[in-house]
Amino acid sequence: MTLLAALLISGCSSQGKGSGEVELKLGFYSSAQSDEKMQELITKFQEKHPNIKIKTESSPYNQFFQKLDTQIAAESAPDIWLSDGVLVPKYAERGVLKDLTEWIQRDLKSEEYYGLDFNKDASGKYWGVPQGIQIAVLYYNKDMFDEAQVDYPIEDWTWDDLKAAAEKLTKDSNGKYAVDSSFDKNKISQYGLTFFSITEGWMTVLKSYGGGVLNDTLDQSIIHSPENKAALDWIVDGMQRELFPTPSDLKSFQSNMALFPSKAAAMRIGIYARTIDANNAGLNYDVSLLPMGPDGIRFSPVIANSWVINKKADGAVADAAWEWVKFWATEDEVQKEWASLGEAVPVKKSVANSEQFLNGSPANKQAFLDSFEFAGTLDVNAVWSEWVGKFNDNINRAFEGEIPVDQAMIQADQEVQKVLDEFYKK
Amino acid sequence: MKLNRVRKSAGYAVIIVSSLVMILPFLTTLFNSLKTYAQYTAVPPKWFPSPIQWSNYSEVWKLGPFGQYTLNSVIVTVLSVGGALISCSMVAYAFARLRFPFKNTLFMIVLGTMMIPPVVLIIPQFVIFKSLHMLDTLTPLWIIEWLAQPFGIFLMRQAFLMIPKDYEESAKLDGCNPFQIYWKIFLPMCKPTFATLAVFTFMTKWNEILSPAIFLTSKENFTLPIGILSMAGQWSGNEQYMVAAALMSLIPILLVFLFAEKYFVQGTNSSGIK
Repeated sequence: MTLLAALLISGCSSQGKGSGEVELKLGFYSSAQSDEKMQELITKFQEKHPNIKIKTESSPYNQFFQKLDTQIAAESAPDIWLSDGVLVPKYAERGVLKDLTEWIQRDLKSEEYYGLDFNKDASGKYWGVPQGIQIAVLYYNKDMFDEAQVDYPIEDWTWDDLKAAAEKLTKDSNGKYAVDSSFDKNKISQYGLTFFSITEGWMTVLKSYGGGVLNDTLDQSIIHSPENKAALDWIVDGMQRELFPTPSDLKSFQSNMALFPSKAAAMRIGIYARTIDANNAGLNYDVSLLPMGPDGIRFSPVIANSWVINKKADGAVADAAWEWVKFWATEDEVQKEWASLGEAVPVKKSVANSEQFLNGSPANKQAFLDSFEFAGTLDVNAVWSEWVGKFNDNINRAFEGEIPVDQAMIQADQEVQKVLDEFYKK
Repeated sequence: MKLNRVRKSAGYAVIIVSSLVMILPFLTTLFNSLKTYAQYTAVPPKWFPSPIQWSNYSEVWKLGPFGQYTLNSVIVTVLSVGGALISCSMVAYAFARLRFPFKNTLFMIVLGTMMIPPVVLIIPQFVIFKSLHMLDTLTPLWIIEWLAQPFGIFLMRQAFLMIPKDYEESAKLDGCNPFQIYWKIFLPMCKPTFATLAVFTFMTKWNEILSPAIFLTSKENFTLPIGILSMAGQWSGNEQYMVAAALMSLIPILLVFLFAEKYFVQGTNSSGIK
């Protein structure tokens, strides 16, 4: 009986296609703010391509990727989906994605875009087309700088200049700044800089000191180096003096992200999307380029959230998927509409450099665009989440002052290498 | 006499203080739901919202089809509770009273399945529901409860085992078959356990995140927890709305508790033979 019913249902659903109509399953992680815009763009796309019918599959951000793994295992992943930039190699190297190299070279002029290359792997293949870009700059709260009578950050700051300013901006609950002799570092009411995780914390410092985590081919750890040692010493010193919160200090806040919008920190390393909560909280703030390392090297981490196409999509479905990517990447109107949400820097240079993007708060949005000069990915590879976990476990112990920096580097180096070997040496 | 009174007031003091402690997180949540984002994230935290942002509650309804989410959750929970009560009690009756081969081994196997974490089951379930064309419908979320979950079987079986054999035998003399015994004698006698199972299933289903997130794909099919989570998005900055939404989603749970409470009280006085 059940079998019969199943047969009947499957019989029905396979009819009704034909007449050149294509159904495209489109997956994206949803939010109340962006869903409406996404729906508008889908409607516009369908008007232009009446033969393509889009069926959306959305979930909240965290559940989206959990579901995607299930769908991939059950061979029913969407034909095209929006992938967090740091996860593109994970899917690419496990053979789930379509190689987009030929299409990109045929239809997109790379000089017109920011960040097409952020999805290129070591062998030069492209696996996705950015939907919007996150790039980090230095955020600073003008009111706090004014109150402490400190000059606003300038573009040729080094990390040491930043620390000197942080010292004048870190305040205890008696209103004394860290430069005062009576400053009590056990009762901080305001941090000079909030500092956490890979993106908005250590990666920028490591790279601008000439260090980093992985080699160029992304399969060897290069953690144990004098450059990284110098960078980590700089961080640990700042944390031990409570100029920036340690990972355990951060636990007392509702989230790691809360310190800057809630005026508990005067500066932060922040990606573009952080302008949303800073603006929501009504801060008087601006942004500047991230500081340089001791040898003048700069680094700004980038995450290019991208459209990727399922390897299983072929023929008309694959063409329809590519039409969607092209619609998204090439049409100024689409780029402008999406940019109006304020979630990401537009991929297309002409739109990113237009008044529409550059106007508004913060005043110096140009800093985001200028940062592309020295931007790079977070050493993303197929096992990114895993190695970041191992790195954090060890380095956080050094940040807390539990173990010396050298020991943390040696352990992190070994554990990260083990993760890499398990995937790449099979 | 005097000592007694002192003891009594000390008792009351302890009760009052501890209930204040208990209600504190709830009050914090309530106040947080009435703040602006700036107040919500203020350091040092401001306890009381000022001005009170009543509009947060109406704002939630603009952020998504909140009514639709609620309706979906109601459908899933009502059908789940019904399914759990019927299927678990029937299976439990069989395990408690009927005689059949390998009864104890089977029961052990049923209990053993409780040890399998839900995450492990989700891929096979996904494949099954996919081939039944039930993905992106509410069906997978409630139909599972009609297949007698082990916890419910265990709970109901314990309750049925407490009923003396005499009831059953006299019913048999009156000409009842096993189904009539189950339906007319056992069910009415185990109302409190039913209430417990109903509340338990209700809470699990009302708050469930994993299965709806995996099985549902269209927004109009989302249940409340997924709907509320999807309001946040990746970059949010609007947590106060989430708190307001979460509080509203609590109302049905409170109602169910108020309704089921009298059965709990009844349960404590009427066990055994009257």
